[in-house]
Amino acid sequence: MEGRGRRLGEAERVSADEAALAATRRQFLKLGALAAGGLALGFRFPARAGTAGAQEAAGGAGAGFRPNAWVRVDPSGKVFLTVGKSEMGQGARTSLPVILAEELEVDPDSVELVQARPGPDFQDLGTFGSRSTRTMWVPLRTAGAAAREMLVAAAAARWSVDAASCRAEKGSVLHAASGRSASYGSLAAEAARVPVPAAPRLKSKSEFKLIGRDRRRVDGPRIVAGEAVFASDVRLPGMRVACIVRSPVHAGEPKSWNEAAAKAVPGFVALAKIQGGLAVVAESSWAALQAREALEPTVKWDEGADAAVDSAAMLARLRAAAATPGTSLKRGGAAEPALASAARRVEAEYFYPYQAHAPVEPMSAVADVRPGACEVWAGTQNPNGAQEAVAKALGIPAAAVTINVTLLGGGFGRRGRSDFVLDAVEASRATRAPVKVLWTRQDDMRVGDFHPVSFHRMAAGLDASGRPVAWRHVVASPLPRGGGSPPTEEQLRALLRGAYDLPYAVPALQADFGEAASPVRTSSWRGVNHNHNVFAAECFFDEVALAAGKDPLALRLALLKADAVVPGGREGKPVDRARLAAVLDLAGRKAGWGAALPAGRARGVACAAYDGQTSAAAVVEVTVGRDGTWRADRVVCAVDPGVAVNPLGIRAQVEGAAAWALSALSTEITLKAGRVEQATYRDFPILRFRDMPRVETAIVESDAAPTGMGEPPVPIIVAAAANALSAASGRRVRRLPVRPADVGADAGGKGA
Amino acid sequence: MAKIAFILNGKRRDVDAPAEMPLLWVLRDTLGMTGTKFGCGAGVCGSCTVHVDGEAAQACQVPVGMLGGRRVTTIEGLDNVALREAWLAEDVAQCGYCQPGQLMQAAALLAKTPKPEDDEVDEAMNDNLCRCGTYMRIRAAIRRASEREGKYY
Repeated sequence: MEGRGRRLGEAERVSADEAALAATRRQFLKLGALAAGGLALGFRFPARAGTAGAQEAAGGAGAGFRPNAWVRVDPSGKVFLTVGKSEMGQGARTSLPVILAEELEVDPDSVELVQARPGPDFQDLGTFGSRSTRTMWVPLRTAGAAAREMLVAAAAARWSVDAASCRAEKGSVLHAASGRSASYGSLAAEAARVPVPAAPRLKSKSEFKLIGRDRRRVDGPRIVAGEAVFASDVRLPGMRVACIVRSPVHAGEPKSWNEAAAKAVPGFVALAKIQGGLAVVAESSWAALQAREALEPTVKWDEGADAAVDSAAMLARLRAAAATPGTSLKRGGAAEPALASAARRVEAEYFYPYQAHAPVEPMSAVADVRPGACEVWAGTQNPNGAQEAVAKALGIPAAAVTINVTLLGGGFGRRGRSDFVLDAVEASRATRAPVKVLWTRQDDMRVGDFHPVSFHRMAAGLDASGRPVAWRHVVASPLPRGGGSPPTEEQLRALLRGAYDLPYAVPALQADFGEAASPVRTSSWRGVNHNHNVFAAECFFDEVALAAGKDPLALRLALLKADAVVPGGREGKPVDRARLAAVLDLAGRKAGWGAALPAGRARGVACAAYDGQTSAAAVVEVTVGRDGTWRADRVVCAVDPGVAVNPLGIRAQVEGAAAWALSALSTEITLKAGRVEQATYRDFPILRFRDMPRVETAIVESDAAPTGMGEPPVPIIVAAAANALSAASGRRVRRLPVRPADVGADAGGKGA
Repeated sequence: MAKIAFILNGKRRDVDAPAEMPLLWVLRDTLGMTGTKFGCGAGVCGSCTVHVDGEAAQACQVPVGMLGGRRVTTIEGLDNVALREAWLAEDVAQCGYCQPGQLMQAAALLAKTPKPEDDEVDEAMNDNLCRCGTYMRIRAAIRRASEREGKYY
């Protein structure tokens, strides 16, 4: 959902964040009673605009807020942090304890992590939108600082000294004048009786000792030992394994099948009709896989009208939707008159395909359904959504559903949907036994929740000097899951993100959306709507620069010089042109923009402020052969994510984003007779080891509050690589994936 | 069903399983050793890489019936401490799911070629996929491990 949260009107600064901090400090600290005599502090999220909680907050009540996570100090001195984010490789479990430890004055390695389960105290555990660090920054610092002040107050009271003469350090309170010290553990019970400070003092950036230092992944030792537990590794006594035979057309249902085919497989236990398919339950994974294979050819499907749709028909739908877009967002003057009166007009069409998440761990979950209750183990990005969905499916209260969040073998948006969780629940209910559902690679590829396919009509008007005076970007795509038709203003902003908030100063800008129904499910895919919108906008920008006879990087910088910030972005955050220009300039300098390269080799550039937040710019260097084979040699990415909590993790996200983005130049999901044509990594060829380029990350020093890093580099690296391929080949890349025929001088084909 | 005896991580194991059952499922289901991961079941992703008689093999493609008397090493039995330490030092893992397979592939390479050239590393590792994109750090970790003296212990 869009439009959440406070509207600060300016980029958040640590120093300028005080008003918001003061408000949240008052509202979200709550003292928890702890049976064992320790100190527990809950902290709550800031209000969200438009929610009941926000309205209550505006009224000053604050009663509607829910604690989001808990920090606890045991009498033994152990510090526990309940992590309310799922770990899918983004490093939340590594960087979040640092934020707490910084203010609490403890060693982050000593903080024990407890994975949150959805429940009354934890109603917002969703992990998406590159929000883990950003949303936990203020709550964790405030909780740590409040706990520290309470521990110091307890020590001061015990020693009958002024609290100001005590300080906290490494899990103890020290009184230098008398040389006394007391461990947090010994103070926990007394600290729990100290009133919660209304406004604990937070450190200034210059006081940070932990934040900003490289920290290696906390789960690393277990991962390299083969001991890290993902959902597919969970084993319960008496557990069965289920494989699913699902309709090849997403909306289809099984009409008839021959159960005897599955029954003949040794180890077969049961067959159950579930939503959209059949669950084959067996004694082991191998038996379930074999029974699935035996059953599948016997199933007749009721496929519905979508069976008539293939990729060409989908493209026709998109073109039609782009020809008559229903809704638009405007900035400045009207775009069409400005286009009509411009000295020169540039137009182009762009295409971005469906994409699969294809995490290496296929969807998997374990469910144990008992009378009136259910326990689930799942690598889910959406524990609360899973709990609701399971409760609804079983007709039991949410409180009777326990969701244990395991590590995720890659998420990227796919594990926000609860379909695989429900598979396990339905199979467990049908067999009255704990069941692990095991999706095959083919299931995972075909029963996707894909990045939406899109088609873009671009138009720009230039004045006599070559300066853009008008810009129109028409986006046609399916609406995401849950999207109403027509989209609300909030949904429209999400759908047009990266289009309506184009950062460049253009006097008349318009972004339009046209809806095209999709026969396959679509949802969030690392980078979300920025992926296609930024691809089209940033590549078309290069076409405009070429038409104007200007260097694409220089023209970008020139159009970012305007001092006004761009309105919009997620949560109403404006694009800060100065920060974006700074990363763009830095990436250009690091990459040696403008320096000569051998024939067949070229650079491309792109930049964007993701959701109006993390500013990122990339320069990609590629080599294109005359036969159209190509490779990325080097990726330089400059980012401004605010305060860098864990620079090592930020660099990992940029490197991973580069691999993700370059994969997107080679992969696509296509449809034939309503069916997904791809089934394995052979026909969905994600980047391999040999093709990984050198990735160089530059992190801009910043005092601003941290923003996300998982997604922001993805869309710009896609666009920069496409621009590099266009520059190297002299053939404009306007569609993905990039085929040899699109960029090869001798390849014979013609470009999009 | 067949009775098969093989050496797993240095110890003799006797299993009762259909001869055509892939080693992957014998490890994960029959023996409860889940460090070896399922990724594709088709020998394409490398997540289930183990060693059979010292050679890297994809456990999803190895019928257990052909293992009689052979030596199998899984991530749980990998004794290349230097490689594990290099993996941690370079902070390779992101989600971590494919990493046991990556480690086993790299260990097989280093056992044969203690100081591999870059193209030898590329060649050896190219069949192990990582959707998080940790390849750059895997490369660095293999280099770090290969430069360490006395690395097998």
